[in-house]
Amino acid sequence: MGVAPVLLVEKLSFAYAGDGAALEGVGFSMAPGERVALLGANGAGKSTLLWCLVGILAGRGKIEVAGTVLAANTKAEVRKNLALAFSEPDDQLFMPTLAKDLAFGPRAEGDSPEEALRKARAAAAQVGLAEELLPRAPHELSSGEKRRAALAAILTSQPKVLALDEPTNSLDAPGRAVLAETLEHLSCAQLIATHDVGFARTICSRALVLVRGQLVADEDIEGLLADRERLVAYGLAAPGVTRP
Amino acid sequence: MVAEQRERDALSRARELSLAGMLGALGLLLPIGFHALGWGGKIFLPMHLPMVVAGFLVGPATAASLGFLVPLLSSALTGMPPLAPPIAPLMSLELMAKGALASLLYRRLALPMWFVLPVVLIVDWAVLGAAAYAAAGFFGITTGALKYVWAAIALSWPGTVLQLVGVPLGVAAIERRLPRLALARGERR
Amino acid sequence: MQWCRGEADGRMLIPIAGAEKGDSPLHRLDDRAKLVALTGFVVAAMLTPTRPVWPWLALFGLLLVALAAGRVKPGLMAKRFLGLSLVVGVPFAVSRLGGEATRLAGESFAVKSLLVAGGFFALTATAHMPDLLEGTSRVPGLSGMSALAAFILRGANMLTGEVVRTNRAWALRAPRARLGVRLRGLVAASISLLGRAAARSDRVGAAMVLRGFDGRMPPAPARALSAGDLAVGLLFAAISLAIGGLGRWA
Repeated sequence: MGVAPVLLVEKLSFAYAGDGAALEGVGFSMAPGERVALLGANGAGKSTLLWCLVGILAGRGKIEVAGTVLAANTKAEVRKNLALAFSEPDDQLFMPTLAKDLAFGPRAEGDSPEEALRKARAAAAQVGLAEELLPRAPHELSSGEKRRAALAAILTSQPKVLALDEPTNSLDAPGRAVLAETLEHLSCAQLIATHDVGFARTICSRALVLVRGQLVADEDIEGLLADRERLVAYGLAAPGVTRP
Repeated sequence: MVAEQRERDALSRARELSLAGMLGALGLLLPIGFHALGWGGKIFLPMHLPMVVAGFLVGPATAASLGFLVPLLSSALTGMPPLAPPIAPLMSLELMAKGALASLLYRRLALPMWFVLPVVLIVDWAVLGAAAYAAAGFFGITTGALKYVWAAIALSWPGTVLQLVGVPLGVAAIERRLPRLALARGERR
Repeated sequence: MQWCRGEADGRMLIPIAGAEKGDSPLHRLDDRAKLVALTGFVVAAMLTPTRPVWPWLALFGLLLVALAAGRVKPGLMAKRFLGLSLVVGVPFAVSRLGGEATRLAGESFAVKSLLVAGGFFALTATAHMPDLLEGTSRVPGLSGMSALAAFILRGANMLTGEVVRTNRAWALRAPRARLGVRLRGLVAASISLLGRAAARSDRVGAAMVLRGFDGRMPPAPARALSAGDLAVGLLFAAISLAIGGLGRWA
């Protein structure tokens, strides 16, 4: 292969207190610029995996992002290179105006207000958000705009890996199309946790499948989706089908 | 270990800010809802309920800041409680004292709810009395300030009952969703 | 600030001062200059004695000038002062039944309350609240409180939407429910809302840390206070204090 992976996960396990294992021995890698779908039914462990990758949940095993191994004293460095977009964008927009929200990350890093605003504008442009939205309060935005705003907020650090948790929640078909186009224009690697198999197929070339915390498949997405029996066994619906 | 502790502190502070913001928002909205239903604010004390709940869930400094801020914010945004006569400042002092005391007793000293809540309510009356007496002098009122306080306490017995019932329910609802809050009682952050 | 419009068919759920961003000389004046003016006005109002009457009239006149400069809508003013009528009017009315000293005290109480409330109203109706709160974050020791205030306002926006949606769901599911059922539903919905809001606060906290929050909010950028604005604020304060001082000396 020759190219060092931008994300490397080895034997990742995690259990919530009082519950059984939420993740068991998960391992995979991603190349720079690659788009990978993380599929699984509700409760399979997709969100748990993402929260472990950013160090909010402390899993056992190894997580390496752009050459930095995740540890207590490297979390800040890892989080600059691996950004997570939550399933609910309202949870990520917490400042009085969009401009301040997008500038929050750079300001927290020590950038001057002018530099932070420049980065905020650049990130907004990257996701196709109009500049006139910047002075507005996040709650005044539509669902699609909020989704893109939350994305812009985490792109200010120019991460090498973007992890997205159920990005198509509450988006209509045009909204999903806009999101797909936005993601395709980003050069960073993307790990997209979703049960929206149709959306995953649109922009991802590879799929990981989680079933009850275990990684049961890591292969080309088209090959996976062509096998109806396996999809049913994994608790997934084929794209365009409402029943498995 | 140092990095881990810093991260824990930052996460704890961020969560506390956000939770306090939500409870403060309830402190703004509940009175509006009660007024809209025609249920008097002075009788049911709707602003007190979320502020006392906050006292049981966040640290003393945050609880005091919240109690201080919410009446003033509400006054600035909706005109109620009024800044003059100084009902909003009096409420600020009351809620600041209530929140800080509840937090100190429940979260820092890990004393039980059935003890802390009545103590907080009684101290609240004492603070209200002292503050009202002091404020009355500014308006040239030398008699009747304590009668006003006694009348306020007597009139607000439904609000006291609401707090005795609602605060344990509210705290339990939140601790059920966030078990880490119950586990952190007795810790000094 | 539109945060309380909610989704209730466009009706304003809560009458908020400064809900619409106005454009008047007072709106354009720096909030810090307005604070200076207000401080002088409040001090004058509190120190002016009950007699003679003319300083009160002069201070009310000054207040009306400020409200006119702010192009504050008469309807909003009326709502605010109507809200005060009980808390000020009742003690005033009761004081009329007493002796000379009690009547004077009642007058003093009513006039001072109206003046101070009017002054604060002139400030809040013409200030941009988020900017005002952000401004306080630059005052030493107040940055934490400023951040908390911003989160309270954010929370109010989110909760208003949730309350409207919950209420609408109830209206659709149980339009003719008996009072007892509605009350039980209200309590259950409130507890559920509280739990959801708490869980959300955890996620917001995580989002902040993931974007570099280290326990302190980034400081707000400094804004220069123009000499002209400061002069206007000081002039207003000086006139107020002069009126109060002359009244006291008279």
